[in-house]
This record gives sequence, C-alpha cells and structure tokens, in this order.
Amino acid sequence: MMPKQTRLLAVILVIVLTAVFWIYKSPPRLGLDLRGGAQLTLQALTNPKQGITQITPRIMETAKFVVEQRINGLGVSEAAVQISGDDQLIVQLPGINDPAQAERVLGNTAQLEFRKQKMGSEGRLGVERQVLLEKELKQRQLESQLNLSGNSEELNKLNEQIDKSKEDIAKSQTAIAELFDTTGLTGDLLKDAVAQPLDAGQTNWQVALTFNDKGGELFAKITGELGGTGRSLGIFLDDKLFSSPSVGPEFQGKGITGGTAVITGNFTLDQATELSLQLRAGALPVPIKIVENRTVGATLGADSVQSSIIAGVSGLILVLIFMVVYYRLLGVVADIALIVYAIITFASFSLLGVTLTLPGIAGFILSIGIAVDANVLIFERTREELLAGKTLYKSVESGFNRAWSSILDSNVTTLISCGALFWLGSGLVKGFAVTLGVGVAISMFTALTCSHALLLAFISYPNFRKPSLYGVKTFGKISNSSSSINSTGDKSTGTIL
Amino acid sequence: MKLNVIKHGQIYLASSALAILVGLGAMLLSWQSLGSPLRPAIDFTGGTRLSVELVCESSGNCGQPIDVGVVRGAIAEKGYGKATIQALGQDGRGLSLQTGDLEVNERSQLQANLEEILSKFGKIDVAKSQIQRVGPIVGNQLLTSGLLALLLSFVGIAVYLGFRFQIDYAFFAIVALMHDVLITCGVFAILGLTMGIEVDSLFVVALLTIIGFSVNDTVVIYDRIRENIKIFGENYNINDLVNISVNQTLGRSINTTLTSMLPLVAIFLFGGATLKFFALALIIGFSAGVYSSIFNASILLAWWRDRSHNSLKKSLTS
Repeated sequence: MMPKQTRLLAVILVIVLTAVFWIYKSPPRLGLDLRGGAQLTLQALTNPKQGITQITPRIMETAKFVVEQRINGLGVSEAAVQISGDDQLIVQLPGINDPAQAERVLGNTAQLEFRKQKMGSEGRLGVERQVLLEKELKQRQLESQLNLSGNSEELNKLNEQIDKSKEDIAKSQTAIAELFDTTGLTGDLLKDAVAQPLDAGQTNWQVALTFNDKGGELFAKITGELGGTGRSLGIFLDDKLFSSPSVGPEFQGKGITGGTAVITGNFTLDQATELSLQLRAGALPVPIKIVENRTVGATLGADSVQSSIIAGVSGLILVLIFMVVYYRLLGVVADIALIVYAIITFASFSLLGVTLTLPGIAGFILSIGIAVDANVLIFERTREELLAGKTLYKSVESGFNRAWSSILDSNVTTLISCGALFWLGSGLVKGFAVTLGVGVAISMFTALTCSHALLLAFISYPNFRKPSLYGVKTFGKISNSSSSINSTGDKSTGTIL
Repeated sequence: MKLNVIKHGQIYLASSALAILVGLGAMLLSWQSLGSPLRPAIDFTGGTRLSVELVCESSGNCGQPIDVGVVRGAIAEKGYGKATIQALGQDGRGLSLQTGDLEVNERSQLQANLEEILSKFGKIDVAKSQIQRVGPIVGNQLLTSGLLALLLSFVGIAVYLGFRFQIDYAFFAIVALMHDVLITCGVFAILGLTMGIEVDSLFVVALLTIIGFSVNDTVVIYDRIRENIKIFGENYNINDLVNISVNQTLGRSINTTLTSMLPLVAIFLFGGATLKFFALALIIGFSAGVYSSIFNASILLAWWRDRSHNSLKKSLTS
C-alpha cells in the first residue's frame, strides 16, 4: 500500500471517529415538527399614526425583549424567540400542544405606566416586595425540581404546586399594584430610554429617559408631587412593578422638568440595559400580529419522524445492497464511503447548529442520493476504461479524473438551487436547503477522497485484483499501461462504438 | 441495450409534448373550477387547519371510526359552513378541519365545538393534534418567495451552464427543466382535481429539488457530448455523437435514478403523512427529469447543432 493512501485513510478514520463521538455527545437539535411544540410567527406592523413608517432593527430588538418577557411569564421551558428577516419574530414553544394562551398574551401591546405611590403605604410596599421575592424564589425552586422529577405522580403534584405558586405571585403583584395611583403617564409618551455610564470608569450605570412634550409636562407634575415625600415612582409593565425609584427632595413642587430624567442606582451595565429595554418595551409603538402558527402534538411529531426515518433508512439499505450487487467490489467501496459520508454529514449538522426538521431529514436522505451518484459516475467510468482494455490501476485513476467534471457541474447546479431556497425560503424550506447543501458539499469531498483512497488501498492487494470483482472478464495487459498517459485524447475510447 | 434517440426523436418529443399538454389542460380546468392552476393549501391561501386524533383506549381496539358526514353536518350547524372536513388515519379515528384565517379566540371556540361534536366518538388526544394557521400576509410571502426561488435557480443554472458549456447547451437544459416542472405540476393538477390533493410550500421545495437533480442528468450527458467532440475532433456527425454519448451514460442515468428513487418510494409508501406527497412529487419529477435529459435535451441539442451545421455548409457552398 502506498504511504500516501495509508495516511489519507488514517485521517479519514480519525475524522469518522471524531464525528461519531460528536454525534454521541451532542446529537443535532430536533425541530418542533419532530419533537412536538408550537411555533408562532409574529409580524411587527408599522404605525403611521405614531410616526413609525419603518420597522428598524432597534424596534425589533425591543419587540423581541417584550415577547421574551411575556413568554417567560408563561413558564414554558426552553422557549426561544428569534428575529427573522426585517420585521418578524419567531417564537418556539416546545412541548405546547395548544398555544392559545401564548397567542392571547402575545397579541396584546405591552402597557408601560409611571404611577405614583399612595400616601401612607411606604411601609407596606417594602413588606409586599419582600413577600413577592420569596414567592418568586419558591417558584424557581419548584421549576428546577420539575426538570429533575421523573415520576408522573410527582410531576402532577409539582405542576399543581407550580400553578398555585403562580396564583400566589399574581396576588402579590396585584397587592403591590393597589399601592399605587394611576397617572396617565403611559409608554406612548416616553420617547426613549438608554443605558449610560455614570462615571468614567464605567462601573456604575444609569438609565436616561426622554419624554415627548406632553409626557415631559406630566412627568414634571408627578415628580413634583412625589419629591421629598419618600414615596416612590412606580414603573409598571403590564401591571407588574419592575422599578420603583424615589424622587430627590430638590424636585419637590417643581418636579423634574425639561422632558428628560435619569434613574440612578448601583446599576451594572447589564442591569441598566435590562431596565432600559423594559422601559423601551413599554414604549414600543408598533402593534404585533400573529401571522403564522404551526403546532404539532408531541406524539404526532414522534410518530411521523419514526415512520419517515424507518422508510428512509430501509430505502437506503436497499441502495447499499444494490450497489454491491451491481458494482461488486466497487460497490463495497461505495457503501463504505457512503456510510462515512452519512456519519460526517450528520455530525456536521450538530457542529453547524442545524436544527433537524422533517424537510431537513428529507434533504439529508436526498443528499445521500447525490453522494451515490458521484460514486456511480466514477465506477461507470472505471468500468468503461476496463472494458476498453486498460489496466486496473489506470482505469481507476482515469475513472476518477474523468468523472470529476461531471460531478462538479452537477453538484454546483444543485448547490445553486439550494442557494435560491436558502436565500428566499421560509423556516421550513430553509431546513431542507441547509441539509441538502451541506450534504452535497461533503459528498464531493468523500467521493473524491474516501472512495479514491479506499479503492487504491483495495487494489494494492492481489486478492482484490480479480476481474470478476469488477464485473469484467479480463483486465488490460500491464504493458498497455505505459502506452499513453494522456488517455483523454486517446482514440481507443472510440472503440466502444 | 442500445438506444437510437435521434432516429426516434420525433416520437420521444411528441410524447413529452402530449404529457405537457394534458397537464396544461388539467391546470386550465383547475383554474376554472378552483381559480388556480393547482389546488393551493393554506400555506398559500392563508387559513386555519386543525388535525385531531381520538384517544385509543385499548390497543388494537380503538373504537368506532368517526362518521365524517355527522361531523360535517354538526359543524355546519354551528356556523362553520365553509369548513372542509376530511377523515385522517387508517382506522378513521382522526380528521382534519380547514377554515379561513381564524384569530385565537375564534379558533378556541371552534376547538371547543369540535370537541363537543367528537365526544360521541371518543376523546381528542391533544398530543396527537396539530394546528396550522397561516395568515394571508404569510401565505402571499410563501408563494412569491417560492416562485422567486424557482426563477432564481433557473437563471443561476442557465448562467452557470452557459459559462461552463455553451449558450445552446444551457438553453436546452433549461427547456428540459421546464418540461420536468410542467409534468410534475400537471400530475398534481390532475391529483388536485380528482383526489383533492393540495400543494403546499413543500411542493415548491420539491420542484426546486427536481430542478437540481434533473439538471444533473442533463449535465452528465452534455459533459460526455463535450468530451466526445474533443476526442473526435472536427469530423464528426453530431447525431451519431449524441447517440454515443447518451448510450455511454445510460447505465449511470438508470442506476442513479434507481438509487435516488428507492428511499423516495419507501417514504411515499410507509413514511409520515407530511412527506408522502413530497416524496410523490419527487418521484414524478425525477422520472420526468431522467426522461427529458435522455430524450429531450440531447435530441434538441443534436437537431439544433445539425441544422446550424447544415445551414453553415449551405451558406459556404452558395
């Protein structure tokens, strides 16, 4: 065996073993159509009344934050929100059979309001906040137990407890809200909220608020009433208090004027950013509409994945058998190369973070078809060369060389279709384009390196050099091999006529 | 086996033309009765679709199948006259209901109604239910982006082939691709008219895959023709050469089509409902693709080159 081939085979072996380990360690993520769950697409709509005629990335970022906040409130584990395109959000809720509750919650516009604390409630606010904190802690503990518990009876009990704890939290929140008076200073009057560094060292941060004219006047009035009293300004998002700054005594009477203000505190960058996002979320002026909902029940997803995978795999086994029957030894080589191909491709899915959906699996199975095609092209060519009377080694070499341009051209055209699909397709279609595209790219590599190295390794053993293994009667004589290296221009190919 | 594609060229091309015409006829009929050449799924029209399955109390004996007629009547009574209802599953314990676009509260109302109506037959298994809602905006988006993707890959493939081969090769390859797309659409137009089969965004994916695959077949044959032109030099007869090239690549064309078909047929016969018609579209398209590569693209190229060859000779002699 030639050292070069041995080295190449060793490298391939290492890659395959790494891939197997990788697949074992972190299998590709499954899409919601396979493991069950709800996927909602939300569309941000322009709001010309408020002067919003274009959806900017900043608006989307804020919208994403609001949606995340609301989803977290629902207590769905592993929920994910992504921005898609210029003006859409995709919300994934694994394990949800009917997302009606989420749809209702997401359909509303976030309501931000600055409220003033009622007189004489100073002491109670502190107590109620403490109670709420404890309840929230308990809730988190219960939720973490939920992930550990396996017993269904225990699970039901836990779920009951969680539901009760959620009710408790809601009660606390209502109790807190009752300590404040409404003012009419709502989110639509707030123009902006940004995190700013308070000092040069950038260790302390503050949040700067900018109101519009009407908001500025109202804000001055409210802060004038609160200044120096020790009562705080309550900032509520969807009736939940998330910040309660106090107003300094210097603003008593006159209030904070000019339409701008800062909220200080010992904020870190993260805390200040979160607060500013929460404020902006309330100020979000664009309505959000649910435009798509694809929900698949958990069992249904599992059923369809199972039957499709079984069908696909049995089809592939037939392909492997066909290759051996038709191409003999070459078929064995192709089969090994195909298995190597499938392992590497599957590992690259998890490496590239591809989420496997049902169309994605279809794309993968089809890419195996393309990988087979590359091998078929090479072996048909090799066989032709053998029939034309060339030696085994020469035939194999020119089989690979001459098939290359066909493989390249046909794969590039497939990649062009994949590119079009990926660029223009929606989520469902994208998954297919990605798996097919990745598969095609890898198949070019495995057909040319893996099949090639394996075949050369095989023919270095005399036992594997019997003509019957290649489906021909005899090989060309060794002396022929030196006749012409540039066999492409050789007229002898014409003898097939 | 040896094919003489040129000799019987007219028959091969006429068969293709006939198949396309039948398909176009079906699309026209469908246009008249449905307002669209193929029966569109809610992916394109927008709408809400609920699929439910009833709980199987004991394995092997799930209970009586749902009487779709009864459900249809009851649903219409509740004021959902326009809903289409179909039975699902082999034991008739499931059904799908399709209506126009419903907001969440309207849908919950419908779900409650459906649950009540179905309670005669059994309890709904929520883990096996499916909700699909596509708003009209998204439906439009999916359709335009699908068509655009189709157009874009045609252009991309034409440019690439024009660059790698020659303009006339690229042109006839595209003609062959149109053939494959038209045949597949034609068959689905017929299926839509006769069996109510709808095309969704996966169908667009299938069309694009067909393009990508079928151009493979054409490219392999063209590659061989180009190579043979180099070997034989100037003194060749294009008709013979195309015949030789087609026959040289015939084994590969058949084997590749066979190997890609095996998993697809398996998915069509035994796979999940979602992929069934996706697989069928690919099976039809791939078959049309291998046919058009062997019998259309190569014949057309030979005829075209032969004619321009002759007219060149004529203009030289006159």
